Amino acid sequence: MIRLENIEKLYRTDTIETIALDRISLNIEKGEFLSVMGPSGCGKSTLLNIMGLLDAPTKGEVKIDQQTLTHLSDKQLARFRNQKIGFIFQSFHLINDLRVLDNAELPLLYRNITSKERIRLATEALEKVGLSNRIKHFPSQLSGGQKQRVAIARAIAGNPEIILADEPTGNLDSAMGNEIMDILLQLNRAEKATIVMVTHDETMAKKTHRLVRLFDGSQVQ
Amino acid sequence: MILHIYKLIWNKKKQNFLLMLELFVSFIVLFVVFFNLLGFYNLYNTPRGFEYRNVWSVNYGLPAEIKSRDSIAAQIKILKNIILSMPQVAGVSFSSVNVPYSSNEISNSVGYKGKEVMSSMYMTDQEYAKVLQLKMLAGNWSPSKRRGSTAVVINKMLKEKLFGAENAIGKRFNSGGSEDLVVTGIVDNTKLTGDYRSLENVLFKVLDTVGRDEGIILIRVRPDADAAFESHLYKIVSNFSKNTNVEIEHLEKKRIVRNNFILVPFILVFSVAAFLIINVALGIFGVLWYNINRRRSEIGLRRAAGASGKAISMQITGEALILSTISLLAGLFFAIQFPLLGVGDVSAKVYLLAIGFSVIFIYLLVIVCSVYPAKQAASVYPADALRED
Repeated sequence: MIRLENIEKLYRTDTIETIALDRISLNIEKGEFLSVMGPSGCGKSTLLNIMGLLDAPTKGEVKIDQQTLTHLSDKQLARFRNQKIGFIFQSFHLINDLRVLDNAELPLLYRNITSKERIRLATEALEKVGLSNRIKHFPSQLSGGQKQRVAIARAIAGNPEIILADEPTGNLDSAMGNEIMDILLQLNRAEKATIVMVTHDETMAKKTHRLVRLFDGSQVQ
Repeated sequence: MILHIYKLIWNKKKQNFLLMLELFVSFIVLFVVFFNLLGFYNLYNTPRGFEYRNVWSVNYGLPAEIKSRDSIAAQIKILKNIILSMPQVAGVSFSSVNVPYSSNEISNSVGYKGKEVMSSMYMTDQEYAKVLQLKMLAGNWSPSKRRGSTAVVINKMLKEKLFGAENAIGKRFNSGGSEDLVVTGIVDNTKLTGDYRSLENVLFKVLDTVGRDEGIILIRVRPDADAAFESHLYKIVSNFSKNTNVEIEHLEKKRIVRNNFILVPFILVFSVAAFLIINVALGIFGVLWYNINRRRSEIGLRRAAGASGKAISMQITGEALILSTISLLAGLFFAIQFPLLGVGDVSAKVYLLAIGFSVIFIYLLVIVCSVYPAKQAASVYPADALRED
């Protein structure tokens, strides 16, 4: 499903060159739930951004469904992200000026579908995460766990095959964290979604199919 | 997408209020500016109704020792013949002080069968129409006393106001409630007081004998009249006037001075309006730029959700245009009252054109001011923007 081949990422300034990722090769199967662990600054989020086509590698290739994506135009990458990938972030990244339903339908705005269809898909996604009774609320009226559930609904509203979650439980207490993890596991089981999750939490990582560890930009497990 | 942007703006109405107010005020200011510009343009394009080129105005006085009416008339006749005998002169007329483009104005009320209107009045002789090349529409420009009434020539506008569609020639009416006047001719409308003045009611008293009150000589000169001729003319009139001051002015120069007198205050107002619009443009630019920096994380999120750089750029411009539309709708509500209520002596077309130009200007202003911020937004790198929050 996702294939990373010798991915390198360097950050250069006038005086210093930092290796964020060093020849990472990874193959993630369709329907797999993979977690990525490692200390802060080891390159986990950079790896996730490269997988999600939000960042370009300095060297190496990203392939999704056997399609090489590293040379696509901005518009083609945007379209690919919109159709195939859903993102979940540690700090939720909800738009505070929009209601829950409007937040959940965000990726659908960039598809050629009717407003009615958008509302249907977004409402379905909110039902899946148990927030159908909160669609008219604003993010400021929700708890942290509810906010993250809205973010998950937004990620799955367009039925993407891949979900990339960057520390989705990082800002939540353990009870809420478990709730979110259960939703992700359910999505993986029921919807056969391929999930890659960056986490610091060993117990959460153990619930996934496979664990990859990074250290100083290199894959150590 | 438009509905989505509208929701975003509506939910942030408090933050957007000042910008919308700024756009609303700009629209009103632009409406006033365009209304005046169109008004000036229309006035300027209204036919003048007379020819000012090659006409000189000579301000003179008769010697004080000449007292009797007959002596004055005789002296004036002599002076007129002397001037007319010069080869550079095509015509001579005597006029009251309110010659074309002068700041002097004489007006009085005139009435006919219960209708009362104000009219400008010019005391002239039988050569006036020829010197200024006024266009006669009916009757003639001849002095006559008809059964004790003073012969007058009126313009088309005054004729329509007093007599409507009736034939006005020979009709009697009064001036100031007492003086009896009789219409002997009708001339086309004239703008004697300036190119930017609106048409007005005009009445010419055609006197068979002019006196001291008609203290201006209007001279139509031939194109070859030069400074030497002007000097010669000055000497002749000065010798005739003895101790009184003589001043020769060209109507071409008087016209420029008069037009500037009307235009300069408006140019100052337009300059202030232009300064205001520049400030508004900077304001819109600043607010949009600030919003881009404040919304980097949202932009990053939209990019992650599938928005291309172009889609982000269009969203920023779209937001500014929707904000403008809301402000313009509020402004239009007020502006449209003028043509609807028929305020002022201005056609609805002028109001509607002023509204149209103002709307187009505001939209162009907003598009121009949003180009750079929208470009900045499109260049936000999603990975960086999402990491910053």
